[in-house]
Amino acid sequence: MSATDLARLQFALTTSFHFLFVLLTLGLVTLLVIMQTRFTITGVPVHERMTRFWGRIYVINYALGIVTGIVMEFQFGLNWSGLATYAGDVFGAPLAMETLIAFFLESTFLGLWIFGWGRLNRWVHLALLYLTALTAFASAFWIMAANGFLQHPVGYRVEGNVLRLDDFSALLTNPTFTSALMHVIFASLTAGGVFLTGVSAYHFIKRTPETDFFRRSLRMGVITTALSTPSLIGAGFAQFPVIAQYQPGKSSAVPWIGAPLGFMIMIGMTLTMVSWVTLPLLIKDAVIRMRFPLYLMVIGIPLPFMAAIFGWMFREIGRQPWLVYGLLRTEDAVSHVDASQILLSLIVFTSLFVLLACVDWALIARAVRRGPDVAPAPVSPLVVTL
Amino acid sequence: MEMLWLVVLGTLTVGYFALAGFDYGTGLLLPFRKKDVVLQRMTPFFLGNEVWLVAAIGVLFAAFPRLEGELLSGAHSVFTLVLAGLVLFMAAVQLRLWWWLVFSGALMVSVGWGLFLAHLLHAPVYVALVMPVLFALHGWVFQTRRWKLFPLTALLCALPIPLAFSSVSTNGLMAHSDTLGLLAWVAIPIIPLVVLLQWSIVAISSR
Repeated sequence: MSATDLARLQFALTTSFHFLFVLLTLGLVTLLVIMQTRFTITGVPVHERMTRFWGRIYVINYALGIVTGIVMEFQFGLNWSGLATYAGDVFGAPLAMETLIAFFLESTFLGLWIFGWGRLNRWVHLALLYLTALTAFASAFWIMAANGFLQHPVGYRVEGNVLRLDDFSALLTNPTFTSALMHVIFASLTAGGVFLTGVSAYHFIKRTPETDFFRRSLRMGVITTALSTPSLIGAGFAQFPVIAQYQPGKSSAVPWIGAPLGFMIMIGMTLTMVSWVTLPLLIKDAVIRMRFPLYLMVIGIPLPFMAAIFGWMFREIGRQPWLVYGLLRTEDAVSHVDASQILLSLIVFTSLFVLLACVDWALIARAVRRGPDVAPAPVSPLVVTL
Repeated sequence: MEMLWLVVLGTLTVGYFALAGFDYGTGLLLPFRKKDVVLQRMTPFFLGNEVWLVAAIGVLFAAFPRLEGELLSGAHSVFTLVLAGLVLFMAAVQLRLWWWLVFSGALMVSVGWGLFLAHLLHAPVYVALVMPVLFALHGWVFQTRRWKLFPLTALLCALPIPLAFSSVSTNGLMAHSDTLGLLAWVAIPIIPLVVLLQWSIVAISSR
């Protein structure tokens, strides 16, 4: 394999791993906002316990997801120095916005939320969660703006052999950005909904005594999925005219590109159908008493994650052979490093990410199995394993 | 303009290294101290420094696009070591199964930064050991609450940064003023805000 192939494979793997964490983070934080808002307004304890239980899972996932993000960010400079050299002035702007306005603030708000539990005024504490969610979505906003630029470069002028930023607002109204952003947001809400449903179903299978807690969580999960999937599919199909206009070769970039696209659409349709069929079965808890749907709900947890990876495969492989569409070829952007060095980092990071995904899985599974706290305990990502 | 961005980048990097002693330093001291107690004390600071690193690399990419690739790809395997150490450290701290994994992660990160420093200054490889020593020292001051020594060791941890900066020439490697002007509006208010918020985290968690 050439340095380019190795660097591409590494990027694909890193992004995929990173996105699994991102999807759950965005989905869960939105649902947490609803739970904590209900608690803050009504003061009913079950809402606080829900915020705590799901919040702990959210924090575990966030803390481990950060590392995959750090590796992602370094990778631009390590393997793709040609991208920064050529397009850094333009592509770098939304990327730096993401690190500064979004991630830098998001982690800090989240830190305050974690350590402010029980120590801050509850409205202030709620505001911190809103700010965390807001900056999390800002993160998606800027990253998708940067990605939209790679799909369809706008707002630049060519000066010598580099690109310069000409019109920043053009980056933010880029049609390949706006249509995809909505799709990603609804995908994350779907992932959050399916996750909530599946985990709650697991507890009904285990016959955990916490029926009220998990009944509420399950309902919330099903309703979230049912509400977000139609918009998810709508935002997905809305991208086809944009692709036809700006990336006409996308569907024929490689012969098998239709496969991931097809799988993604199938998963989306299935989730929509199943969640709408489940909605009426929520009445009098029919779906819980029937029991067999509970098993399907658990099995369904990975589906939104798989669909998201398939979606990214279509979007990114379909961009080839360009890194910046029509301007910079992928092979011309690879750093001047030995293929063996890239191979080394590929092996190291891939094995560590597999480990990381397993740790994430193990820690979340442990938090799930434990179930909600009987006595209040802090939400720190570290305390969970003590 | 160039000076401004060097100061911004410098501030972010100093932020990372000055805070790094808390968690990597704690990790390095693990074999010699009571594990539960030191990890507990580190908790409010865990991940606090990595956000500075992410912000620094983001600014490096956007404000110095033609430097970023050179700098990072020029030390490819060193960064593989640093990042592998980071992943290992973060996963190990949360898993808390084997303390030596926490220690190894911290050692890899700090030796990696040392190697990068040696690489930049064209210094012999053993200079790399400076970083683990400094981090461990800073971690020790933090863990034993010798607050009088604290500014001194924080300064020592951050000292390699001006050294490293002096070895790099940014001539012609910066972004155009259109990009820099836009980013300045964001970077300058955000940094003091994050300092304030992180300070609040420490303040409320020690209440």
